[in-house]
Amino acid sequence: MKRWFRADLHVHTLLSPCAAVEMTPRNIIRHAQSAGIDIVAITDHNAGDNVAAAIRAAAGSTVVVLPGMEVQTREEVHLLTLFDKMRDFIKWCDFIALHRSPLQNDEKKFGAQFVVDEEDELVRTEEAMLLASTDLGFDEAVEQARAMGGLTIAAHVDRPAFSVLSQLGFIPAGASPDAVEVSRNMQWAEAQKRLPVIGALPVVVSSDAHTIDDFLAGPKTMFLMESPTLSEIRQALVGKEGRRIHR
Amino acid sequence: MTVREMIEELGLTMVSKGGALDEPLVGGYVSDLLSHVMGQAKAGEVWVTMQGHQNIVAVASLVGLGAVIVAGGIEPEAQTIAKANEQEVILCKTELSTYEVAGRLYRLGIPGK
Repeated sequence: MKRWFRADLHVHTLLSPCAAVEMTPRNIIRHAQSAGIDIVAITDHNAGDNVAAAIRAAAGSTVVVLPGMEVQTREEVHLLTLFDKMRDFIKWCDFIALHRSPLQNDEKKFGAQFVVDEEDELVRTEEAMLLASTDLGFDEAVEQARAMGGLTIAAHVDRPAFSVLSQLGFIPAGASPDAVEVSRNMQWAEAQKRLPVIGALPVVVSSDAHTIDDFLAGPKTMFLMESPTLSEIRQALVGKEGRRIHR
Repeated sequence: MTVREMIEELGLTMVSKGGALDEPLVGGYVSDLLSHVMGQAKAGEVWVTMQGHQNIVAVASLVGLGAVIVAGGIEPEAQTIAKANEQEVILCKTELSTYEVAGRLYRLGIPGK
């Protein structure tokens, strides 16, 4: 039996240096539940250390957490990578850690990077610089994530920076992500008309939230599908067997 | 100045098989945002970038650029070189920084727009 699920596939926690400290996994889940958001993908920059806490925080709630990460490729393209199973996601995190910038984060300039537990308790501060390019090329990142079971979405393709279109002009032949995301600045229904280079790729919208206000007010994508899983999302994106998406 | 003369003057390493090496260069352009290159660079110009992705070849081909220089010691990806060979795009690399390359091109009489 299919039903509509309201999903936000791009949400930052306080592990991202640019996110507010109120973006704890517990707080995100609490607000998701009261706002009727069914699916939340946690997507911090180049790391996934707050995902497990979000999954634990969501236990017993109606909210489903998808493990995810917003990877920055060496071309300065932001790519959302979403996973179904923690087992696969942990391998992806380890892989990305090997390809991250060797620089250390400067808290004063960029903000602190906090790893917390499901009760909002501080576990540690991440010292590695997460807000920098990995040494992975866009094509390689798409292929690797896919090979490890991930779904890939080119983030905020309508933005003038950190977008596959701004950095690389168009979607590279042979390394097409599963979908593209447009930011809150563009209407979902207009994306394919205003950005002809995305072709027939499915378009999603999400909040890219760095604060609770952004999370609540930001766009969400509606998925008509059987259950709140990555495999169902994958099928809904391509309109398989009556599944579909609508903003 | 022709593409061939520029390669010699700057001591660039040509990584593709070549193309129209004796065509004159009409100007130079610098950017790492391919969306901008597509809109702003002109046919017959030399483009200096630090992107080594295969899309640089498609952009060069689309715009009709005279040559592409990948600067700053960045290695163009294998796919990029293969595409450049296919499309006869002249692709060079250099350890010189983008700034240094642009300065030397200017001094050789290759203007901006």
